[in-house]
Amino acid sequence: MAAGLGLCPCRALLGGRRGALRALVRPARGLAAAKETHFGFQTVSEEEKGEKVYQVFENVAKKYDIMNDSMSLGIHRLWKDILMHKMNPSPGTLLLDVAGGTGDIAFRFINYVRSIRERQLQRKLKHHQNLSWQEIADSYQEEAIKPLGDSQVVVCDINKEMLKVGRQKAQHLGYSEGLSWVVGNAEELPFDDNKFDVYTIAFGIRNVTHIDLALQEAYRVLKPGGRFLCLEFSQVNNPLLSRLYDLYSFQIIPVLGEIIAGDWKSYQYLVESIRRFPPQEEFKAMIEDAGFLKVDYQNLTSGIVAIHSGFKL
Amino acid sequence: MPFSCLKETSDSLVSISVVRCQLYPPQRAFHASAVLRRVSDERKKEPSASSSQQHFDSHPTDHQPEQEPQGPRPSYTGQGGQESEDYESEEQLQHRILTAALEFVPEHGWTAEAIAEGAKTLGLSVAAAGMFHSDGSELILHFVSQCNTKLAELLEQEQKLVQLGETEKKATDQFLRDALEARLRMLIPYIEKWPQALSILLLPHNIPSGFNLLTSMIDDIWHYAGDQSTDFNWYTRRAVLTGIYNTTELVMMQDSSPDFEETWRFLENRVADAMNMGNTAKQVQSTGEALVQGLMGAAVTIKNLTGLNQRR
Repeated sequence: MAAGLGLCPCRALLGGRRGALRALVRPARGLAAAKETHFGFQTVSEEEKGEKVYQVFENVAKKYDIMNDSMSLGIHRLWKDILMHKMNPSPGTLLLDVAGGTGDIAFRFINYVRSIRERQLQRKLKHHQNLSWQEIADSYQEEAIKPLGDSQVVVCDINKEMLKVGRQKAQHLGYSEGLSWVVGNAEELPFDDNKFDVYTIAFGIRNVTHIDLALQEAYRVLKPGGRFLCLEFSQVNNPLLSRLYDLYSFQIIPVLGEIIAGDWKSYQYLVESIRRFPPQEEFKAMIEDAGFLKVDYQNLTSGIVAIHSGFKL
Repeated sequence: MPFSCLKETSDSLVSISVVRCQLYPPQRAFHASAVLRRVSDERKKEPSASSSQQHFDSHPTDHQPEQEPQGPRPSYTGQGGQESEDYESEEQLQHRILTAALEFVPEHGWTAEAIAEGAKTLGLSVAAAGMFHSDGSELILHFVSQCNTKLAELLEQEQKLVQLGETEKKATDQFLRDALEARLRMLIPYIEKWPQALSILLLPHNIPSGFNLLTSMIDDIWHYAGDQSTDFNWYTRRAVLTGIYNTTELVMMQDSSPDFEETWRFLENRVADAMNMGNTAKQVQSTGEALVQGLMGAAVTIKNLTGLNQRR
């Protein structure tokens, strides 16, 4: 795999004309003025990548959820559920969900915490068998006032369209409290140090231009003892499945994108960006570089998706 | 207690010479640990081979993490989080969290919630409970191991007193009773939630560790009781004492008498039974021998009567 910024001649043909031109011109120029990175299989400058990614998500925002369901055949819901179970948040947890645009993780978090809270209150009631009516009424009131037990989730995304869709969904589904929606760049979060208990980024980190900066920001905003969780597409280890997966990715997904969302290019980018993302072990090393300890990963669906977890200790 | 930090479920391509993209620095960054604190007189385990990656270069530490209540102390974090000499390891931090969590067990049970509360008292986020299994197994194993250590210390001290001549050496059955009673008394603060703990210890993935802890405790007790046997008796003694311990524990679970008198009486009876068992075995053997003698005599008599024994 050609990690790094060079492109072999055949790839240069696949990339845009601009990319190809740049690949031919670059050696002659020596030190290029702007640093370059990859956008799918193309090469673009770093500022450009940010813009292009923004456009991709602006275009797909409205059909994002439908496309997720059709591309992954609904399995993405299981992946996100598994992420939530792994997190196992207790009431009182402050969650920052970065690149969480349409709010999937945030809503699951709220549901989870709500049910844990209910169970907690039930257990408390059972424990004290001889309660007076006053005490029982008080505990019900407590449950009504703090159904989430002080837990909160902040959804942060760089793309306003995605946040808009997320807010509409929240209204539609009836999630009113414990949620905040903030526009922000993962490489430069608009939050103070040591604020959050858990930082999640689901299917977002491969779109970030400087992944290491995003990891450092994650380290900064987490409290000591806080947890970093990343759900992302990764390398499939099974060779047969890998071939089928490649076939599916490159032949079927862009077509689905065209039919359902009317946007071939965005889904082509999506599939290519998955291939460009570092494999599990390398990403684990990057997380350790940012200072996290006890870093480890769990493969889901034999490597199509991986959950990386690290602690700020 | 195996904390398998690296649960690599993928058949990873081992020995990867990682081709790092030039976007990422090739050496481990110089990091200040936010939580792991200095353990000044403890010598850490040998740094792993990756410590050669630590470079004290002129790179400015642009990502110095924030201050935290215990004060910032720069440490050199090697790959996988192993610390240099003066810092506690992740394992020790985990032990600290579990010890702090024990005081919340009577309220929350042996669960991840108790661990989360424990982490909070240490100034950590509740998310630190995610380091442990969500069913609370590690908390229970930690507690059992702690109790066993305390018991071993107690027995050691007693032995010293005996050696110094300050106390009499106890008879075996008295010794066993006292040792088991001391060990079981450690459960009293957590007695309400202990049945839950027992059931969790019986889960398949906990059985090896739980069994190991139990056998090493029984070993310790017999060692201090002065057991010198090297023959088959070694196994029987351990099996017997394990049986006594487990049954007494179960009796204790549902004992509601003041200060668990019933339990100690049960314990006394079982230990007495075990002592008698040794005598009974000898009795059975001698009875057997006597019986065999009798049969032989009867056979010779019959042979005489029927004339088979006569010499012609």
